Amino acid sequence: MRKPSPHRSLISLLQPYVLIAPTLALVLMFNVAPAIRTVTDSLHKPARGLNAAGKPPEYVGLQNFHDLFDEGHYMGARFTRAFRNTIVFALATVGIGVPLGLLLALLLNHQQPLLGLWRFAVFYPSLLPLIGAASIWSFIFSDSIGLANALLKSLGHPGLNWLGDRNLVLLSVAVVNIWKQAGYFMIFFLAGLQNIPRDIYEAASLDGASERQQFAALTLPLLRRTLLFVIVISFIFAFQTVEQLQALGEGGPADSANLLLYLIFQNISERQNWGYVNAMTIVLIGVVLAFTVSNFVLFERDDGNR
Amino acid sequence: MNGSGNMLRRVAQATRVGIAIVFLIPLVFTILVSLRPETEPVTNGNIFFGSEVTLANFERALVIAPWGLHYLNSIIFVGGTLIVQLVTVTGAAYAFARMRFVGRNLLLMVILLQLMIPSGVLLVQNFRMIQTLGLFDTRVALMIPYWGSAFGVLLLRQTFREVPFELEEAARIDGANLLQVIRHVYVSNAIPAYLAFALVSISTHWNEFLWPFIITRSAEIRPLTVGLNKLIKTTDQGAFYGQLMAGTLIVIAPLVLLFLVFQRQFVESFARSGIR
Repeated sequence: MRKPSPHRSLISLLQPYVLIAPTLALVLMFNVAPAIRTVTDSLHKPARGLNAAGKPPEYVGLQNFHDLFDEGHYMGARFTRAFRNTIVFALATVGIGVPLGLLLALLLNHQQPLLGLWRFAVFYPSLLPLIGAASIWSFIFSDSIGLANALLKSLGHPGLNWLGDRNLVLLSVAVVNIWKQAGYFMIFFLAGLQNIPRDIYEAASLDGASERQQFAALTLPLLRRTLLFVIVISFIFAFQTVEQLQALGEGGPADSANLLLYLIFQNISERQNWGYVNAMTIVLIGVVLAFTVSNFVLFERDDGNR
Repeated sequence: MNGSGNMLRRVAQATRVGIAIVFLIPLVFTILVSLRPETEPVTNGNIFFGSEVTLANFERALVIAPWGLHYLNSIIFVGGTLIVQLVTVTGAAYAFARMRFVGRNLLLMVILLQLMIPSGVLLVQNFRMIQTLGLFDTRVALMIPYWGSAFGVLLLRQTFREVPFELEEAARIDGANLLQVIRHVYVSNAIPAYLAFALVSISTHWNEFLWPFIITRSAEIRPLTVGLNKLIKTTDQGAFYGQLMAGTLIVIAPLVLLFLVFQRQFVESFARSGIR
Protein backbone atom coordinates (compact mmCIF):
# COMPACT_ATOMS: atom_id res chain seq x y z
CA MET A 1 0.00 0.00 0.00
CA ARG A 2 1.29 3.46 -0.89
CA LYS A 3 2.23 5.64 2.06
CA PRO A 4 0.50 9.01 2.18
CA SER A 5 3.08 11.60 1.20
CA PRO A 6 3.15 15.20 2.48
CA HIS A 7 2.55 16.76 -0.93
CA ARG A 8 -0.55 14.82 -1.78
CA SER A 9 -2.63 17.32 -3.63
CA LEU A 10 -6.31 17.30 -4.48
CA ILE A 11 -5.44 15.84 -7.87
CA SER A 12 -3.74 12.82 -6.40
CA LEU A 13 -6.68 12.33 -4.05
CA LEU A 14 -8.98 12.20 -7.04
CA GLN A 15 -6.68 9.94 -9.09
CA PRO A 16 -8.12 6.58 -7.96
CA TYR A 17 -11.66 7.72 -8.69
CA VAL A 18 -10.70 8.86 -12.17
CA LEU A 19 -9.07 5.48 -12.81
CA ILE A 20 -12.11 3.45 -11.79
CA ALA A 21 -14.72 5.88 -13.15
CA PRO A 22 -15.14 4.33 -16.63
CA THR A 23 -15.58 0.79 -15.34
CA LEU A 24 -17.86 1.95 -12.55
CA ALA A 25 -20.02 4.07 -14.87
CA LEU A 26 -20.40 1.20 -17.36
CA VAL A 27 -21.32 -1.32 -14.68
CA LEU A 28 -23.87 1.11 -13.24
CA MET A 29 -25.33 1.74 -16.69
CA PHE A 30 -25.47 -1.79 -18.07
CA ASN A 31 -25.77 -3.97 -14.97
CA VAL A 32 -27.01 -2.12 -11.90
CA ALA A 33 -29.49 0.33 -13.45
CA PRO A 34 -31.06 -2.31 -15.74
CA ALA A 35 -31.36 -4.69 -12.78
CA ILE A 36 -33.19 -2.03 -10.76
CA ARG A 37 -35.45 -1.18 -13.69
CA THR A 38 -36.19 -4.87 -14.15
CA VAL A 39 -37.48 -4.92 -10.58
CA THR A 40 -39.68 -1.83 -10.96
CA ASP A 41 -40.96 -2.82 -14.42
CA SER A 42 -41.83 -6.29 -13.15
CA LEU A 43 -44.29 -4.62 -10.75
CA HIS A 44 -46.05 -2.73 -13.55
CA LYS A 45 -48.26 -3.53 -16.50
CA PRO A 46 -48.29 -1.47 -19.69
CA ALA A 47 -51.42 0.62 -20.09
CA ARG A 48 -54.09 -0.93 -22.28
CA GLY A 49 -56.66 0.39 -24.72
CA LEU A 50 -56.80 3.47 -26.93
CA ASN A 51 -53.94 5.95 -26.61
CA ALA A 52 -52.12 3.39 -24.45
CA ALA A 53 -48.81 4.51 -25.91
CA GLY A 54 -48.98 7.82 -24.05
CA LYS A 55 -50.23 6.51 -20.73
CA PRO A 56 -47.85 5.53 -17.93
CA PRO A 57 -47.70 1.85 -16.95
CA GLU A 58 -49.96 0.79 -14.14
CA TYR A 59 -48.61 -0.46 -10.80
CA VAL A 60 -49.89 -4.00 -10.21
CA GLY A 61 -47.79 -5.25 -7.29
CA LEU A 62 -46.86 -8.91 -7.64
CA GLN A 63 -49.68 -9.62 -10.12
CA ASN A 64 -47.23 -10.37 -12.95
CA PHE A 65 -45.49 -13.03 -10.86
CA HIS A 66 -48.84 -14.43 -9.85
CA ASP A 67 -49.85 -14.72 -13.51
CA LEU A 68 -46.56 -16.37 -14.44
CA PHE A 69 -47.11 -19.21 -12.00
CA ASP A 70 -50.76 -19.64 -13.05
CA GLU A 71 -50.87 -22.35 -15.70
CA GLY A 72 -54.29 -21.18 -16.83
CA HIS A 73 -52.89 -17.80 -17.83
CA TYR A 74 -51.64 -17.45 -21.44
CA MET A 75 -48.18 -16.33 -20.34
CA GLY A 76 -48.20 -18.49 -17.21
CA ALA A 77 -48.68 -21.61 -19.34
CA ARG A 78 -45.65 -20.69 -21.45
CA PHE A 79 -43.53 -19.62 -18.46
CA THR A 80 -44.20 -22.69 -16.31
CA ARG A 81 -43.36 -24.95 -19.24
CA ALA A 82 -40.16 -23.07 -20.02
CA PHE A 83 -39.21 -22.96 -16.34
CA ARG A 84 -39.74 -26.70 -15.93
CA ASN A 85 -37.82 -27.35 -19.15
CA THR A 86 -34.97 -25.18 -17.94
CA ILE A 87 -34.67 -27.14 -14.69
CA VAL A 88 -34.77 -30.51 -16.49
CA PHE A 89 -32.28 -29.20 -19.05
CA ALA A 90 -29.94 -27.92 -16.33
CA LEU A 91 -30.06 -31.20 -14.40
CA ALA A 92 -29.40 -33.20 -17.56
CA THR A 93 -26.52 -31.10 -18.87
CA VAL A 94 -24.88 -30.78 -15.44
CA GLY A 95 -25.51 -34.42 -14.54
CA ILE A 96 -23.84 -35.69 -17.71
CA GLY A 97 -21.53 -32.83 -18.71
CA VAL A 98 -19.68 -32.49 -15.40
CA PRO A 99 -18.85 -36.20 -14.92
CA LEU A 100 -17.84 -36.35 -18.58
CA GLY A 101 -15.52 -33.39 -18.07
CA LEU A 102 -13.97 -35.14 -15.07
CA LEU A 103 -13.56 -38.37 -17.04
CA LEU A 104 -11.85 -36.49 -19.87
CA ALA A 105 -9.47 -34.83 -17.42
CA LEU A 106 -8.55 -38.19 -15.86
CA LEU A 107 -7.94 -39.67 -19.32
CA LEU A 108 -5.88 -36.74 -20.58
CA ASN A 109 -3.91 -35.77 -17.47
CA HIS A 110 -0.71 -37.67 -18.19
CA GLN A 111 1.91 -37.27 -20.89
CA GLN A 112 1.06 -39.67 -23.68
CA PRO A 113 1.34 -40.03 -27.44
CA LEU A 114 -1.05 -37.76 -29.40
CA LEU A 115 -2.05 -35.83 -26.25
CA GLY A 116 -2.39 -32.63 -28.28
CA LEU A 117 -4.76 -34.32 -30.72
CA TRP A 118 -6.94 -35.77 -27.94
CA ARG A 119 -7.15 -32.42 -26.17
CA PHE A 120 -7.98 -30.62 -29.40
CA ALA A 121 -10.71 -33.18 -30.15
CA VAL A 122 -12.55 -32.54 -26.90
CA PHE A 123 -11.77 -28.83 -26.41
CA TYR A 124 -12.47 -27.34 -29.85
CA PRO A 125 -16.28 -27.39 -29.41
CA SER A 126 -16.04 -24.86 -26.57
CA LEU A 127 -14.37 -22.41 -28.96
CA LEU A 128 -17.16 -22.46 -31.52
CA PRO A 129 -19.87 -19.83 -31.52
CA LEU A 130 -23.06 -21.32 -30.08
CA ILE A 131 -24.88 -20.39 -33.25
CA GLY A 132 -22.21 -22.20 -35.32
CA ALA A 133 -22.34 -25.29 -33.12
CA ALA A 134 -26.11 -25.27 -33.35
CA SER A 135 -25.87 -24.90 -37.11
CA ILE A 136 -23.64 -27.99 -37.36
CA TRP A 137 -25.99 -30.02 -35.20
CA SER A 138 -29.04 -28.83 -37.11
CA PHE A 139 -27.53 -30.79 -40.00
CA ILE A 140 -26.75 -33.83 -37.86
CA PHE A 141 -30.30 -33.84 -36.49
CA SER A 142 -31.94 -33.05 -39.82
CA ASP A 143 -35.00 -35.20 -40.34
CA SER A 144 -34.51 -36.46 -43.88
CA ILE A 145 -30.79 -36.24 -44.62
CA GLY A 146 -29.12 -35.87 -41.21
CA LEU A 147 -26.21 -37.91 -39.96
CA ALA A 148 -28.03 -39.18 -36.84
CA ASN A 149 -30.82 -40.65 -38.90
CA ALA A 150 -28.39 -42.00 -41.51
CA LEU A 151 -26.79 -43.94 -38.66
CA LEU A 152 -30.14 -45.14 -37.31
CA LYS A 153 -31.27 -46.22 -40.77
CA SER A 154 -28.08 -48.21 -41.33
CA LEU A 155 -29.03 -50.06 -38.12
CA GLY A 156 -32.49 -50.78 -39.49
CA HIS A 157 -34.31 -48.11 -37.46
CA PRO A 158 -36.66 -45.79 -39.42
CA GLY A 159 -35.08 -42.69 -37.89
CA LEU A 160 -36.30 -40.01 -35.46
CA ASN A 161 -37.61 -36.49 -35.86
CA TRP A 162 -34.93 -34.98 -33.57
CA LEU A 163 -35.95 -31.34 -33.88
CA GLY A 164 -39.67 -31.84 -34.49
CA ASP A 165 -40.73 -34.43 -31.93
CA ARG A 166 -41.76 -32.68 -28.72
CA ASN A 167 -40.16 -35.40 -26.60
CA LEU A 168 -36.82 -35.21 -28.40
CA VAL A 169 -36.02 -31.56 -29.07
CA LEU A 170 -34.86 -30.73 -25.56
CA LEU A 171 -32.73 -33.88 -25.53
CA SER A 172 -31.14 -32.85 -28.82
CA VAL A 173 -30.28 -29.40 -27.45
CA ALA A 174 -28.87 -31.03 -24.30
CA VAL A 175 -26.61 -33.27 -26.42
CA VAL A 176 -25.22 -30.18 -28.17
CA ASN A 177 -24.59 -28.44 -24.84
CA ILE A 178 -22.83 -31.43 -23.32
CA TRP A 179 -20.63 -31.81 -26.42
CA LYS A 180 -19.82 -28.11 -26.33
CA GLN A 181 -19.04 -27.79 -22.61
CA ALA A 182 -17.37 -31.05 -21.55
CA GLY A 183 -13.95 -29.91 -22.83
CA TYR A 184 -14.31 -26.57 -21.06
CA PHE A 185 -15.11 -28.28 -17.77
CA MET A 186 -12.19 -30.64 -18.39
CA ILE A 187 -9.65 -27.81 -18.14
CA PHE A 188 -10.80 -26.92 -14.60
CA PHE A 189 -10.42 -30.56 -13.57
CA LEU A 190 -7.00 -30.72 -15.27
CA ALA A 191 -5.94 -27.66 -13.27
CA GLY A 192 -7.29 -29.30 -10.11
CA LEU A 193 -5.45 -32.55 -10.82
CA GLN A 194 -2.16 -30.70 -11.40
CA ASN A 195 -2.44 -29.29 -7.88
CA ILE A 196 -2.49 -32.73 -6.29
CA PRO A 197 1.05 -33.68 -5.25
CA ARG A 198 2.39 -36.77 -7.06
CA ASP A 199 3.98 -38.32 -4.00
CA ILE A 200 0.73 -39.01 -2.17
CA TYR A 201 -0.12 -41.47 -4.96
CA GLU A 202 3.27 -43.10 -4.65
CA ALA A 203 2.72 -43.49 -0.93
CA ALA A 204 -0.73 -44.98 -1.56
CA SER A 205 0.69 -47.39 -4.13
CA LEU A 206 3.34 -48.55 -1.67
CA ASP A 207 0.56 -49.19 0.82
CA GLY A 208 -1.06 -51.45 -1.80
CA ALA A 209 -4.02 -49.23 -2.77
CA SER A 210 -5.48 -50.09 -6.20
CA GLU A 211 -6.08 -47.37 -8.78
CA ARG A 212 -9.78 -47.47 -8.04
CA GLN A 213 -9.15 -47.08 -4.31
CA GLN A 214 -6.77 -44.22 -4.98
CA PHE A 215 -9.42 -42.45 -7.05
CA ALA A 216 -12.09 -42.82 -4.38
CA ALA A 217 -9.88 -42.07 -1.38
CA LEU A 218 -7.49 -39.44 -2.80
CA THR A 219 -8.42 -37.91 -6.16
CA LEU A 220 -12.11 -37.33 -5.60
CA PRO A 221 -11.85 -35.77 -2.12
CA LEU A 222 -8.95 -33.56 -3.24
CA LEU A 223 -10.93 -32.42 -6.29
CA ARG A 224 -13.99 -31.60 -4.20
CA ARG A 225 -13.43 -27.85 -4.47
CA THR A 226 -13.04 -27.97 -8.25
CA LEU A 227 -16.01 -30.27 -8.58
CA LEU A 228 -18.28 -27.93 -6.62
CA PHE A 229 -17.06 -24.95 -8.62
CA VAL A 230 -17.70 -26.64 -11.98
CA ILE A 231 -21.15 -27.79 -10.88
CA VAL A 232 -22.07 -24.24 -9.87
CA ILE A 233 -20.88 -22.60 -13.10
CA SER A 234 -22.48 -25.29 -15.24
CA PHE A 235 -25.84 -24.59 -13.58
CA ILE A 236 -25.35 -20.87 -14.25
CA PHE A 237 -24.57 -21.60 -17.92
CA ALA A 238 -27.55 -23.94 -18.28
CA PHE A 239 -29.98 -21.31 -17.01
CA GLN A 240 -28.61 -18.81 -19.52
CA THR A 241 -28.98 -21.14 -22.52
CA VAL A 242 -30.50 -19.23 -25.40
CA GLU A 243 -28.54 -18.89 -28.63
CA GLN A 244 -28.59 -22.60 -29.57
CA LEU A 245 -32.37 -22.61 -29.66
CA GLN A 246 -32.34 -20.15 -32.54
CA ALA A 247 -31.00 -22.91 -34.83
CA LEU A 248 -32.36 -25.96 -32.99
CA GLY A 249 -36.12 -25.95 -33.06
CA GLU A 250 -36.74 -22.40 -31.77
CA GLY A 251 -38.19 -23.73 -28.50
CA GLY A 252 -40.95 -25.64 -30.23
CA PRO A 253 -43.16 -27.37 -31.02
CA ALA A 254 -45.61 -25.63 -28.67
CA ASP A 255 -42.84 -24.55 -26.23
CA SER A 256 -42.03 -28.22 -25.57
CA ALA A 257 -38.33 -27.35 -25.73
CA ASN A 258 -38.46 -23.70 -24.79
CA LEU A 259 -36.10 -22.36 -22.16
CA LEU A 260 -36.43 -19.33 -19.92
CA LEU A 261 -34.08 -16.89 -21.59
CA TYR A 262 -35.30 -17.78 -25.07
CA LEU A 263 -38.89 -17.15 -23.99
CA ILE A 264 -37.78 -13.74 -22.70
CA PHE A 265 -36.02 -13.06 -26.01
CA GLN A 266 -39.13 -14.09 -27.97
CA ASN A 267 -41.15 -11.45 -26.12
CA ILE A 268 -38.61 -8.63 -26.23
CA SER A 269 -40.70 -6.57 -28.66
CA GLU A 270 -44.14 -7.55 -27.38
CA ARG A 271 -45.13 -4.33 -25.63
CA GLN A 272 -48.15 -5.82 -23.88
CA ASN A 273 -45.93 -8.49 -22.26
CA TRP A 274 -43.33 -6.05 -20.91
CA GLY A 275 -44.31 -6.65 -17.28
CA TYR A 276 -44.09 -10.42 -17.73
CA VAL A 277 -40.76 -10.21 -19.53
CA ASN A 278 -39.30 -8.32 -16.57
CA ALA A 279 -40.89 -10.63 -14.01
CA MET A 280 -39.38 -13.61 -15.86
CA THR A 281 -36.02 -11.86 -15.86
CA ILE A 282 -36.29 -11.42 -12.09
CA VAL A 283 -36.88 -15.15 -11.66
CA LEU A 284 -33.87 -15.87 -13.87
CA ILE A 285 -31.66 -13.36 -12.02
CA GLY A 286 -32.80 -14.91 -8.75
CA VAL A 287 -31.66 -18.36 -9.82
CA VAL A 288 -28.34 -17.17 -11.28
CA LEU A 289 -27.67 -15.01 -8.22
CA ALA A 290 -28.37 -17.90 -5.85
CA PHE A 291 -25.74 -20.02 -7.61
CA THR A 292 -23.23 -17.17 -7.86
CA VAL A 293 -23.59 -16.25 -4.21
CA SER A 294 -23.17 -19.87 -3.16
CA ASN A 295 -20.03 -19.85 -5.30
CA PHE A 296 -18.69 -16.82 -3.41
CA VAL A 297 -19.64 -18.29 -0.04
CA LEU A 298 -18.01 -21.63 -0.87
CA PHE A 299 -14.75 -20.24 -2.22
CA GLU A 300 -14.16 -16.66 -1.08
CA ARG A 301 -12.46 -17.73 2.14
CA ASP A 302 -9.76 -19.63 0.24
CA ASP A 303 -9.23 -16.75 -2.18
CA GLY A 304 -8.34 -14.46 0.69
CA ASN A 305 -5.37 -16.66 1.52
CA ARG A 306 -4.03 -16.93 -1.98
CA MET B 1 2.88 -53.38 -13.50
CA ASN B 2 0.12 -55.73 -12.42
CA GLY B 3 -2.51 -57.29 -14.68
CA SER B 4 -5.46 -55.17 -13.62
CA GLY B 5 -3.41 -51.98 -14.14
CA ASN B 6 -2.72 -53.06 -17.72
CA MET B 7 -6.36 -53.82 -18.27
CA LEU B 8 -7.33 -50.39 -16.92
CA ARG B 9 -4.83 -48.74 -19.22
CA ARG B 10 -6.28 -50.50 -22.24
CA VAL B 11 -9.83 -49.51 -21.28
CA ALA B 12 -8.65 -45.93 -20.81
CA GLN B 13 -7.01 -45.89 -24.23
CA ALA B 14 -10.14 -47.28 -25.91
CA THR B 15 -12.35 -44.74 -24.10
CA ARG B 16 -10.02 -41.91 -25.09
CA VAL B 17 -10.07 -42.86 -28.76
CA GLY B 18 -13.83 -43.47 -28.70
CA ILE B 19 -14.67 -40.12 -27.13
CA ALA B 20 -12.26 -38.26 -29.39
CA ILE B 21 -13.89 -39.78 -32.48
CA VAL B 22 -17.40 -38.96 -31.27
CA PHE B 23 -16.38 -35.37 -30.47
CA LEU B 24 -14.67 -34.93 -33.86
CA ILE B 25 -17.52 -36.32 -35.95
CA PRO B 26 -19.44 -33.02 -36.14
CA LEU B 27 -16.36 -31.11 -37.35
CA VAL B 28 -15.32 -33.82 -39.81
CA PHE B 29 -18.78 -34.02 -41.32
CA THR B 30 -19.13 -30.25 -41.49
CA ILE B 31 -16.05 -30.30 -43.71
CA LEU B 32 -17.16 -33.33 -45.72
CA VAL B 33 -20.70 -32.06 -46.32
CA SER B 34 -19.41 -28.63 -47.33
CA LEU B 35 -17.34 -30.32 -50.05
CA ARG B 36 -20.07 -32.66 -51.36
CA PRO B 37 -22.39 -31.88 -54.26
CA GLU B 38 -25.63 -30.52 -52.77
CA THR B 39 -27.65 -33.11 -54.69
CA GLU B 40 -26.01 -35.99 -52.82
CA PRO B 41 -26.98 -36.02 -49.13
CA VAL B 42 -25.03 -38.30 -46.78
CA THR B 43 -28.02 -40.61 -46.57
CA ASN B 44 -27.56 -41.33 -50.25
CA GLY B 45 -24.57 -43.44 -51.30
CA ASN B 46 -21.06 -43.09 -49.86
CA ILE B 47 -21.39 -41.46 -46.46
CA PHE B 48 -17.98 -39.76 -46.57
CA PHE B 49 -17.45 -38.46 -50.07
CA GLY B 50 -19.87 -37.75 -52.88
CA SER B 51 -19.20 -38.39 -56.53
CA GLU B 52 -16.86 -35.37 -56.60
CA VAL B 53 -15.19 -32.86 -54.29
CA THR B 54 -16.58 -29.43 -55.08
CA LEU B 55 -16.38 -25.86 -53.84
CA ALA B 56 -19.83 -25.05 -55.22
CA ASN B 57 -21.32 -24.85 -51.70
CA PHE B 58 -18.78 -22.21 -50.71
CA GLU B 59 -19.55 -20.24 -53.86
CA ARG B 60 -23.26 -20.29 -53.07
CA ALA B 61 -22.76 -19.46 -49.40
CA LEU B 62 -20.61 -16.50 -50.41
CA VAL B 63 -23.44 -15.09 -52.49
CA ILE B 64 -26.05 -15.24 -49.71
CA ALA B 65 -24.30 -13.02 -47.19
CA PRO B 66 -21.58 -10.37 -47.57
CA TRP B 67 -19.01 -12.39 -45.64
CA GLY B 68 -16.14 -10.00 -46.29
CA LEU B 69 -18.14 -7.21 -44.70
CA HIS B 70 -19.21 -9.44 -41.81
CA TYR B 71 -15.58 -10.41 -41.24
CA LEU B 72 -14.58 -6.77 -41.09
CA ASN B 73 -17.49 -6.03 -38.74
CA SER B 74 -16.52 -8.89 -36.43
CA ILE B 75 -12.93 -7.67 -36.36
CA ILE B 76 -14.03 -4.11 -35.57
CA PHE B 77 -16.45 -5.34 -32.89
CA VAL B 78 -13.90 -7.62 -31.23
CA GLY B 79 -10.98 -5.20 -31.62
CA GLY B 80 -12.93 -2.13 -30.54
CA THR B 81 -14.23 -3.96 -27.49
CA LEU B 82 -10.80 -5.24 -26.48
CA ILE B 83 -8.88 -1.98 -26.93
CA VAL B 84 -11.26 0.03 -24.73
CA GLN B 85 -11.41 -2.83 -22.20
CA LEU B 86 -7.62 -2.85 -21.88
CA VAL B 87 -7.64 0.83 -20.94
CA THR B 88 -10.55 0.78 -18.48
CA VAL B 89 -9.46 -2.48 -16.88
CA THR B 90 -5.85 -1.39 -16.41
CA GLY B 91 -6.79 1.85 -14.64
CA ALA B 92 -9.30 0.24 -12.33
CA ALA B 93 -7.06 -2.74 -11.59
CA TYR B 94 -4.19 -0.45 -10.58
CA ALA B 95 -6.44 1.67 -8.36
CA PHE B 96 -7.86 -1.35 -6.59
CA ALA B 97 -4.49 -3.09 -6.30
CA ARG B 98 -2.27 -0.26 -5.10
CA MET B 99 -4.20 2.85 -4.09
CA ARG B 100 -5.93 3.65 -0.84
CA PHE B 101 -9.10 5.69 -1.07
CA VAL B 102 -12.45 6.17 0.63
CA GLY B 103 -15.06 3.63 -0.50
CA ARG B 104 -12.57 1.28 -2.12
CA ASN B 105 -14.16 -1.97 -0.98
CA LEU B 106 -17.69 -0.73 -1.60
CA LEU B 107 -16.87 0.39 -5.15
CA LEU B 108 -15.14 -2.92 -5.87
CA MET B 109 -18.27 -4.72 -4.70
CA VAL B 110 -20.38 -2.62 -7.06
CA ILE B 111 -18.14 -3.56 -9.99
CA LEU B 112 -18.29 -7.23 -8.97
CA LEU B 113 -22.07 -7.04 -9.35
CA GLN B 114 -21.38 -7.51 -13.06
CA LEU B 115 -20.29 -11.07 -12.33
CA MET B 116 -23.42 -11.73 -10.30
CA ILE B 117 -25.88 -10.23 -12.77
CA PRO B 118 -24.37 -10.95 -16.20
CA SER B 119 -25.53 -8.62 -18.96
CA GLY B 120 -26.82 -11.58 -20.98
CA VAL B 121 -29.65 -11.93 -18.49
CA LEU B 122 -30.43 -8.20 -18.71
CA LEU B 123 -31.04 -8.39 -22.45
CA VAL B 124 -34.39 -6.60 -22.46
CA GLN B 125 -33.45 -3.66 -20.27
CA ASN B 126 -30.13 -3.16 -22.03
CA PHE B 127 -31.97 -3.19 -25.34
CA ARG B 128 -34.15 -0.40 -24.00
CA MET B 129 -31.14 1.45 -22.57
CA ILE B 130 -29.49 1.45 -26.00
CA GLN B 131 -32.68 2.80 -27.56
CA THR B 132 -32.89 5.53 -24.91
CA LEU B 133 -29.29 6.52 -25.63
CA GLY B 134 -30.15 6.70 -29.33
CA LEU B 135 -27.47 4.13 -30.12
CA PHE B 136 -29.66 1.47 -31.73
CA ASP B 137 -28.08 -0.03 -34.86
CA THR B 138 -24.64 1.48 -34.27
CA ARG B 139 -21.24 -0.09 -33.72
CA VAL B 140 -20.96 1.59 -30.32
CA ALA B 141 -24.16 -0.16 -29.19
CA LEU B 142 -22.52 -3.52 -29.91
CA MET B 143 -19.48 -2.79 -27.79
CA ILE B 144 -20.47 -0.43 -25.01
CA PRO B 145 -21.90 -2.95 -22.50
CA TYR B 146 -18.57 -4.80 -22.58
CA TRP B 147 -16.25 -1.82 -22.23
CA GLY B 148 -16.22 -2.31 -18.48
CA SER B 149 -15.08 -5.79 -17.40
CA ALA B 150 -15.24 -6.95 -13.79
CA PHE B 151 -13.48 -10.17 -14.78
CA GLY B 152 -10.60 -8.17 -16.27
CA VAL B 153 -10.36 -5.92 -13.21
CA LEU B 154 -10.19 -8.91 -10.88
CA LEU B 155 -7.66 -10.78 -13.01
CA LEU B 156 -5.30 -7.81 -13.36
CA ARG B 157 -5.73 -6.57 -9.80
CA GLN B 158 -4.53 -9.98 -8.66
CA THR B 159 -1.60 -9.84 -11.08
CA PHE B 160 -0.64 -6.24 -10.20
CA ARG B 161 -0.56 -7.14 -6.50
CA GLU B 162 2.15 -9.68 -7.23
CA VAL B 163 4.39 -7.04 -8.80
CA PRO B 164 6.95 -6.01 -6.11
CA PHE B 165 6.10 -2.54 -4.79
CA GLU B 166 9.83 -1.69 -4.77
CA LEU B 167 9.69 -1.49 -8.58
CA GLU B 168 7.09 1.26 -8.37
CA GLU B 169 9.09 3.14 -5.71
CA ALA B 170 12.22 2.94 -7.85
CA ALA B 171 10.35 4.27 -10.87
CA ARG B 172 8.90 7.13 -8.82
CA ILE B 173 12.34 8.07 -7.54
CA ASP B 174 13.44 8.21 -11.17
CA GLY B 175 10.68 10.76 -11.70
CA ALA B 176 8.05 8.61 -13.42
CA ASN B 177 4.48 9.92 -13.26
CA LEU B 178 1.41 7.77 -12.62
CA LEU B 179 0.80 6.77 -16.24
CA GLN B 180 4.47 5.90 -16.73
CA VAL B 181 4.45 3.80 -13.57
CA ILE B 182 1.36 1.90 -14.70
CA ARG B 183 2.74 1.35 -18.16
CA HIS B 184 6.35 0.48 -17.44
CA VAL B 185 6.08 -1.21 -14.05
CA TYR B 186 2.69 -2.91 -14.03
CA VAL B 187 1.58 -3.50 -17.61
CA SER B 188 4.97 -4.75 -18.73
CA ASN B 189 5.05 -7.20 -15.81
CA ALA B 190 1.58 -8.57 -16.50
CA ILE B 191 1.78 -9.57 -20.17
CA PRO B 192 0.66 -13.21 -19.63
CA ALA B 193 -2.42 -11.99 -17.74
CA TYR B 194 -3.19 -9.54 -20.55
CA LEU B 195 -2.83 -12.33 -23.09
CA ALA B 196 -5.21 -14.53 -21.10
CA PHE B 197 -7.72 -11.71 -20.84
CA ALA B 198 -7.41 -10.91 -24.55
CA LEU B 199 -7.97 -14.52 -25.65
CA VAL B 200 -11.07 -14.84 -23.47
CA SER B 201 -12.42 -11.48 -24.63
CA ILE B 202 -11.74 -12.19 -28.31
CA SER B 203 -13.30 -15.63 -28.32
CA THR B 204 -16.32 -14.48 -26.29
CA HIS B 205 -17.16 -11.60 -28.59
CA TRP B 206 -16.21 -13.26 -31.84
CA ASN B 207 -18.77 -15.93 -30.97
CA GLU B 208 -21.43 -13.61 -29.67
CA PHE B 209 -24.74 -13.77 -31.47
CA LEU B 210 -27.80 -12.65 -29.55
CA TRP B 211 -26.76 -9.13 -28.53
CA PRO B 212 -25.57 -8.13 -32.05
CA PHE B 213 -28.70 -9.74 -33.47
CA ILE B 214 -30.99 -7.68 -31.24
CA ILE B 215 -29.14 -4.39 -31.27
CA THR B 216 -28.39 -4.04 -35.00
CA ARG B 217 -30.47 -4.03 -38.17
CA SER B 218 -28.03 -3.08 -40.92
CA ALA B 219 -25.85 -5.67 -42.63
CA GLU B 220 -23.21 -2.92 -42.84
CA ILE B 221 -22.36 -3.37 -39.15
CA ARG B 222 -23.56 -6.89 -38.34
CA PRO B 223 -20.89 -9.46 -37.38
CA LEU B 224 -20.30 -12.96 -38.76
CA THR B 225 -22.57 -14.81 -36.36
CA VAL B 226 -25.57 -12.78 -37.48
CA GLY B 227 -24.66 -13.49 -41.10
CA LEU B 228 -24.59 -17.20 -40.25
CA ASN B 229 -28.03 -16.92 -38.70
CA LYS B 230 -29.31 -15.49 -41.96
CA LEU B 231 -27.89 -18.52 -43.75
CA ILE B 232 -29.55 -20.86 -41.23
CA LYS B 233 -32.88 -19.15 -41.77
CA THR B 234 -32.65 -19.28 -45.57
CA THR B 235 -31.96 -23.00 -45.36
CA ASP B 236 -35.20 -24.87 -45.82
CA GLN B 237 -35.78 -27.93 -43.68
CA GLY B 238 -33.79 -30.75 -45.18
CA ALA B 239 -32.21 -28.81 -48.01
CA PHE B 240 -29.05 -26.81 -48.71
CA TYR B 241 -27.02 -28.22 -45.84
CA GLY B 242 -23.93 -28.10 -48.04
CA GLN B 243 -23.97 -24.33 -48.23
CA LEU B 244 -24.90 -24.02 -44.54
CA MET B 245 -21.90 -26.14 -43.54
CA ALA B 246 -19.71 -24.09 -45.88
CA GLY B 247 -20.95 -20.89 -44.24
CA THR B 248 -20.42 -22.37 -40.77
CA LEU B 249 -16.81 -23.19 -41.66
CA ILE B 250 -16.28 -19.65 -42.90
CA VAL B 251 -17.38 -18.37 -39.48
CA ILE B 252 -15.60 -20.83 -37.20
CA ALA B 253 -12.31 -21.18 -39.11
CA PRO B 254 -10.41 -18.20 -37.59
CA LEU B 255 -10.87 -19.23 -33.96
CA VAL B 256 -10.16 -22.90 -34.64
CA LEU B 257 -6.95 -21.91 -36.45
CA LEU B 258 -6.05 -19.43 -33.68
CA PHE B 259 -6.56 -22.27 -31.21
CA LEU B 260 -4.27 -24.58 -33.18
CA VAL B 261 -1.53 -21.95 -32.93
CA PHE B 262 -2.13 -20.87 -29.30
CA GLN B 263 -3.47 -24.16 -27.92
CA ARG B 264 -1.63 -23.95 -24.61
CA GLN B 265 -2.41 -20.28 -23.98
CA PHE B 266 -6.07 -20.81 -24.83
CA VAL B 267 -6.44 -23.64 -22.34
CA GLU B 268 -4.71 -21.62 -19.63
CA SER B 269 -6.76 -18.49 -20.40
CA PHE B 270 -10.03 -20.35 -20.35
CA ALA B 271 -9.03 -21.96 -17.07
CA ARG B 272 -8.56 -18.49 -15.59
CA SER B 273 -11.85 -17.24 -17.05
CA GLY B 274 -13.70 -19.42 -14.59
CA ILE B 275 -12.16 -17.52 -11.71
CA ARG B 276 -14.88 -15.39 -10.28
